[in-house]
Amino acid sequence: MSSRRVQPWTEKYRPRVIDEVIGNPDAKKAFIAWLNKWLAGRPEKKAALLYGPPGCGKTSLVHAAASQLGLELIEANASDVRTSEALKRRVLRAVTEGSLLGVRGKVILLDEVDGISPQDTGGLETILEIIQASRHPVVLTANDPWDPRLRDLRNVCELIEFKRLGLREVSSALSEICRKEGVECDPAVIRELASNSEGDLRAAINDLQSIALGKRKVTLEDLEVLGYRAKQESMFEIVRNVLVAKRPEAARLVLSIPSLDYEMLMQWLNENIPYQYSPSPVAIADAYDALSKADVTLSRIKRKQAWTLLPYALDMMTVGVAGARERPPFKFVKYSFPQKLRLLSTSKEVREERNRIAKAVATVCHVSTRKALLEMLPYIKVIYENNPLKGRLILEGLGVSEEDFCKAFRIEVKPEIRSRPSRRRRS
Amino acid sequence: MSGQNLELWVEKYRPRRLDEIVDQREIVERLKEFVRDKNVPHLLFVGPPGTGKTTAALCLAYELYGGLWRDNTLELNASDERGIDVIRSRIKEYARTVPLGEVPFKLIILDEADNMTGDAQQALRRTMELFSRSTRFILIANYASKIIEPIQSRCAIFRFQPIPKGDFAARLRYIAEREGVKVLDEAIEAIWEESLGDMRKAINTLQAAAALNSVIDADAVYRALGKVTPAEVREMIKLALNGDFLSAREKLREALYSYGLSGLDIIKLVYREVTSPKGLELDERKRLEILELIGEINYRLVEGADDEIQLNALLAKLALVGGRGKV
Repeated sequence: MSSRRVQPWTEKYRPRVIDEVIGNPDAKKAFIAWLNKWLAGRPEKKAALLYGPPGCGKTSLVHAAASQLGLELIEANASDVRTSEALKRRVLRAVTEGSLLGVRGKVILLDEVDGISPQDTGGLETILEIIQASRHPVVLTANDPWDPRLRDLRNVCELIEFKRLGLREVSSALSEICRKEGVECDPAVIRELASNSEGDLRAAINDLQSIALGKRKVTLEDLEVLGYRAKQESMFEIVRNVLVAKRPEAARLVLSIPSLDYEMLMQWLNENIPYQYSPSPVAIADAYDALSKADVTLSRIKRKQAWTLLPYALDMMTVGVAGARERPPFKFVKYSFPQKLRLLSTSKEVREERNRIAKAVATVCHVSTRKALLEMLPYIKVIYENNPLKGRLILEGLGVSEEDFCKAFRIEVKPEIRSRPSRRRRS
Repeated sequence: MSGQNLELWVEKYRPRRLDEIVDQREIVERLKEFVRDKNVPHLLFVGPPGTGKTTAALCLAYELYGGLWRDNTLELNASDERGIDVIRSRIKEYARTVPLGEVPFKLIILDEADNMTGDAQQALRRTMELFSRSTRFILIANYASKIIEPIQSRCAIFRFQPIPKGDFAARLRYIAEREGVKVLDEAIEAIWEESLGDMRKAINTLQAAAALNSVIDADAVYRALGKVTPAEVREMIKLALNGDFLSAREKLREALYSYGLSGLDIIKLVYREVTSPKGLELDERKRLEILELIGEINYRLVEGADDEIQLNALLAKLALVGGRGKV
């Protein structure tokens, strides 16, 4: 891949005027009517909730309307921090102030409100507050508006439904982009992309860009590189699409799956990298290295709430993993579920027993439980195994039963050899 | 002192009085002055592990309060009492009661204080002021740099030095003699090298070696230490270096999930295994290469979130180094 930054076509060709927005004529009409009521005076509902599947033009419509009507667009989208604090800082002040000179007004766009996680403390309440306080139109978007957490929001919003785009609508949009990019594209490819996208224009454009970028001519063969767009596929397929991606960049496609749980993907990759990439130690090492870097980045993101870094983590765990050197030729592998969760639950008892004992040792020996576990218990175990009599005395002094101790360390209880009644001196 | 376990030599031979403390002469002298004056400032003990910090704090408590020391001393470990709220509520509750005896304040020993977050330390600083009339704090840490300035400035700082080899050896010989076990010079030498002056580790090693053999020689010391390292970790490294990544990962999972070790615990053990003179047989260039990998993964463990992923990355690299001889 060339190193120059390439603008995503989904951004480059985002409609600038309302007429350019593809499909959903009814939703468009309803939205413009609501917006006009705002501009004329007071609407019945201060906010509008645009909902529908991904890639059907919700965000694009808001962008287009804002630019056509000369409104300043204030946006907080999924990659931003959406805790109550951050929302207040960024949005609340903006909505209560007038607009800058030279623009007629503002419109506030809060994208993907159903994506606000419960961890974003107070995020939804703050959105309600913003709507209450706003002197400008507030637009929310969501894929699933019926999420129970959104109930209060639904009540204060004008609900506007967007439907999946039709095959023809997606096809014509793709053709138009090809024309503007000067790419000659086989109509069969356009059809295939459109049908694979299932009405998700954003996905279709991303696919088109990944096969057409830098080319003059696109044929059905190029399409093969892409595999096919994963729609709500099982994790098995997602893992396969990453690990056996024909080109590393093709692995990125799994990121367009709307419901992708990337933390789960990490666990699945962690489990299955060696199965797919053996017997090549280089490929295994490279893939794990990328996964490890993704983990580091994700952890930083969470610690610092730096969600703008998310794309790096996601690229690292897809393109980075698939970019391993010396990948072995394709073979079909039956993937496993991540074992970590299972192991954590089956070993819980042993672990708890060990911690309980460590706590007893910690109190007596004036150390932390951790230190007791690491720096005291192993020695006591060695003593017990090699000199059970002495070991028993130590355990007794700690108030730890021999059975518990052996269970916690998965060792055999030593046979009871009480200090033999001292050998009678024969005299 | 009651409640101790006299079967464990670390406890049995833990000094009871300030005078019994091995080395740290100047510190001991100052502490004795505090006892004479029956006045103690807030204290910060810093120094490497096993150099007598906790022992000095306990001795000080014992000499100040005599038989009442337990009633007048609260021992907290910052690694266990993670939340500052727990610390605060326990301290508050404790500080409310009147000290018993003639010393007008009580002691709070806060061990492993460098494991507290910055926020927790800020909160502690306020707590120290709030209760300074009725309580004195002894904070214990490995590194002073991890204690925030405002707390440092409220404490008299005592820096514990690593125990010199002579005193170290003398103490081990004394214990061996009292326990009626024979210990060879080579064994003392081996313990010294392996424990790097950490008295707790040294005495534990001595006792474990004594359980293996009636005469403690260097071999018994190394055998004891070999058994102390969880077998999983040792096997894990060997398997990885043999290029068997999958089996190595199995061992790693046992260590993480059955044994309950943290990623950092394991990387410490791996480091120990790779650097110990009686550990793995590796040519020096390879050893250095591996150390570099360990350092990198150690860093990522601290920065990252998923211990298994990080250590798998290490094992995969080890498999590469072991198999082909270069990364």
